[in-house]
Amino acid sequence: MATLKIDRKAGDNVYLHKDFHGGLSAGLEYVRLRYGEQAVRDYLRQFALAWYAPLTKALREKGLPALREHYDHIFKLEGGEVHFTESPDELLIEVLLNPAVAHMKANGYAISPLFNETVATVGKTICESTPYAMEMLRYEAETGRYTQRFFRRAA
Amino acid sequence: MISCTEFIPAYSELFRFLEARDGKKAVIGFWAYISDHFLNNLRDLVAKNGIKGCWLYWHHTLNEEAADFTMELDEEAGEFRINMRHCPSKGRLLEIDHMKPYPDYCEHCDLLYRRVLEPLGYSYEFDSSRTHKAACAIVVKRGKPS
Repeated sequence: MATLKIDRKAGDNVYLHKDFHGGLSAGLEYVRLRYGEQAVRDYLRQFALAWYAPLTKALREKGLPALREHYDHIFKLEGGEVHFTESPDELLIEVLLNPAVAHMKANGYAISPLFNETVATVGKTICESTPYAMEMLRYEAETGRYTQRFFRRAA
Repeated sequence: MISCTEFIPAYSELFRFLEARDGKKAVIGFWAYISDHFLNNLRDLVAKNGIKGCWLYWHHTLNEEAADFTMELDEEAGEFRINMRHCPSKGRLLEIDHMKPYPDYCEHCDLLYRRVLEPLGYSYEFDSSRTHKAACAIVVKRGKPS
């Protein structure tokens, strides 16, 4: 019979709990099953308007480099593989290894059929009230690989 | 992609979304769903290892979440305790200045784990008196609540 004790400080570990991807997927699935597909998009838009407000502001003020900086940071943090192609009015983001989907698949988490909306709806919402827009060029549900294009709207 | 480091604000905003849609009962319904469908790892660990399953479950999650805590297991006494000095989830929500956290955010920790552990024959106490400081405590004991 074991007696065990551990004492940890916040700085002892790195904050990176990838099981949270599964939690988000479960949340989307609950909303989809209970309220329908549009509700999932409505929720993600509400979340993106609130959480990414500083990123939207940076996009307005600094342009597309603000988005590249954000996505570069999170893909490095999570060990993803991403390729950026930039021009003054366009940012192409090609995700070759999606760490969220890879982790969920490796650990047996159910992946919501609307998990792609965490990219599509969120990307579109971040661009609201800016001179930019986003379109999804590709999303592979099986792997989570995707390509999205942020671009300056026509005047 | 939404990073796993952004999950806590996403979760908080989901609670807010559900409450606006259908009231608090919708939020509680979601917590019950998550407990039933997403906490099978805790359920399986406790079913297989007894109270040590709590240690195994939270040892993994709290280290990855970089929590500030003390965790104790006394298998013979059938007791497991967590003293959370600083919860990384609630702590993050309290630090965000551009987004309003769901006011009853910490209640999910009471419902989710109680719903798993009590049917397995354990009592579950959640001390939420310090959640406004991102601190709390959990005590799990073998045997039904008295």
